[in-house]
Amino acid sequence: MLSKAGPETAGLAVQKVRETDLLAAAIASGDREAEQRFVQQYLPRVRAMLLARTRNAEITADLQQDVMLEAICALRRGQLREAAKLSAFVLGIARNLLNSHFGNAAHQPVSLEFPDNIPDLTKATDEIAKRQEGELARCAIASLDHVDQSILHMTLVDGLKPGAIAERLHLSPDVVRQRKLRATRKVVNLVSKLSQNKSGAHLHERDAL
Amino acid sequence: MTICNGAPAEHFALGYVEGTLPEVEAERFEEHYFDCPVCLKHLQTIQTMAQSLAQQSVATIEQPRLKMPIAWPVWAWSGGAVAALLLVSIFTYKSLEPKLAQPTVAQSELKSLPQAATSSQPVRASAAAVHLSQLADLTLPVYVVPNLRGDGSDANFETGMREYAAGNCQDAIVTLRQVAEQSAEAHAAEFYSGACQMRLGDFPAATRGLRKIADSGDSPQQEAALYILAQIALAGNDPVAAHMYLERTIALRGDLEQRARQQDRQVAELIAMSNPAQGEHSESK
Repeated sequence: MLSKAGPETAGLAVQKVRETDLLAAAIASGDREAEQRFVQQYLPRVRAMLLARTRNAEITADLQQDVMLEAICALRRGQLREAAKLSAFVLGIARNLLNSHFGNAAHQPVSLEFPDNIPDLTKATDEIAKRQEGELARCAIASLDHVDQSILHMTLVDGLKPGAIAERLHLSPDVVRQRKLRATRKVVNLVSKLSQNKSGAHLHERDAL
Repeated sequence: MTICNGAPAEHFALGYVEGTLPEVEAERFEEHYFDCPVCLKHLQTIQTMAQSLAQQSVATIEQPRLKMPIAWPVWAWSGGAVAALLLVSIFTYKSLEPKLAQPTVAQSELKSLPQAATSSQPVRASAAAVHLSQLADLTLPVYVVPNLRGDGSDANFETGMREYAAGNCQDAIVTLRQVAEQSAEAHAAEFYSGACQMRLGDFPAATRGLRKIADSGDSPQQEAALYILAQIALAGNDPVAAHMYLERTIALRGDLEQRARQQDRQVAELIAMSNPAQGEHSESK
């Protein structure tokens, strides 16, 4: 799936291990800023994972807090054995909480140790950036052909399979698959381009000031 | 640590968000994007897109069947009729042609028939085996150059597919093997290599590659991969596997649905014919 590392990436890997090592050590020694950095780094990843798994923004919002708190508590206790595996460590916690959420959905919510001085998780969520991304996505979607919009809507919102979409739109399933992939690629590229332009514009504005 | 150009996200993110990615692939993708900002960004954009789509009520259009926008002249209709007649006659000729490739497979695989079936209905069973393998459609799937292809397609893929289109399966396999794993065409290259291996009679290798495509979730080649796997199973006189793959093909409700349905019925008939007691039993159920 992925290309293996060369000497340059090996250097990057060493640097990353050092950074995570320092981050984990700083959290274990009670550095609150390090906790904030940890949250900023991992909350978006955890959110993306929970959203994909639950497909529910509310459950995601609840669980992401639990995951981050559980991770911070564990890091404070120095439970991370290998600094290189910080991502796997956080991912593992997220999977466990997700499983117990669905496994115990009918029972009581998971009780967590609630630590003092927890980092402000809301700071990690840049609402303005989020809203801007939403706008960019809407612009990109609007630039698509109407049929492509419908295909994406039926796929991502209604959860329909290409066969069912093809039947509704009187297309062949292969065409639906091709158009779906093509439209997704187009939106992703356009959002990336627009956001680069936007950040470029911001830099210009800042320079002008 | 890896160098990543976002290819994993391009390949897996949509299926991951849709929930159609197999669990193993989903977990591998999670492990990857937790360390890869490029793929994380790609995934987040798809999630934002899904949320935007959910918010904005896109009027899902039920496209009417396309009608002729212009009045076609009579010569066009007559030309079309001649072409259709030609196609029908070619099709009829082809269907009357004896299947050359299939009997070799059928003969070699006849021994693998269950003994119980042969002992109870020897004549019927061997006839069923021959028919079962003769049901197998071992022709290469037609490759149509997609008009939706973006720029920057893999040169090896293009060369390989030219060889494939010319029927040079051996060369196509060699060239398609060189398509980079991260390339957008990697999936398609694996599929067409599998089809070539099937054509060359290397069923174990074909099955390995095609299974990967069939089990890796939604892709343009998934349906065809399942269908070919069913054909390989038929050629190998394995009705159980053939039935399973045909059922999976049908479930996708794609272009091959009708063909798969028809074949599945024929398989069921042949099984019932080779073992009538079992057929009666299943009917009474």
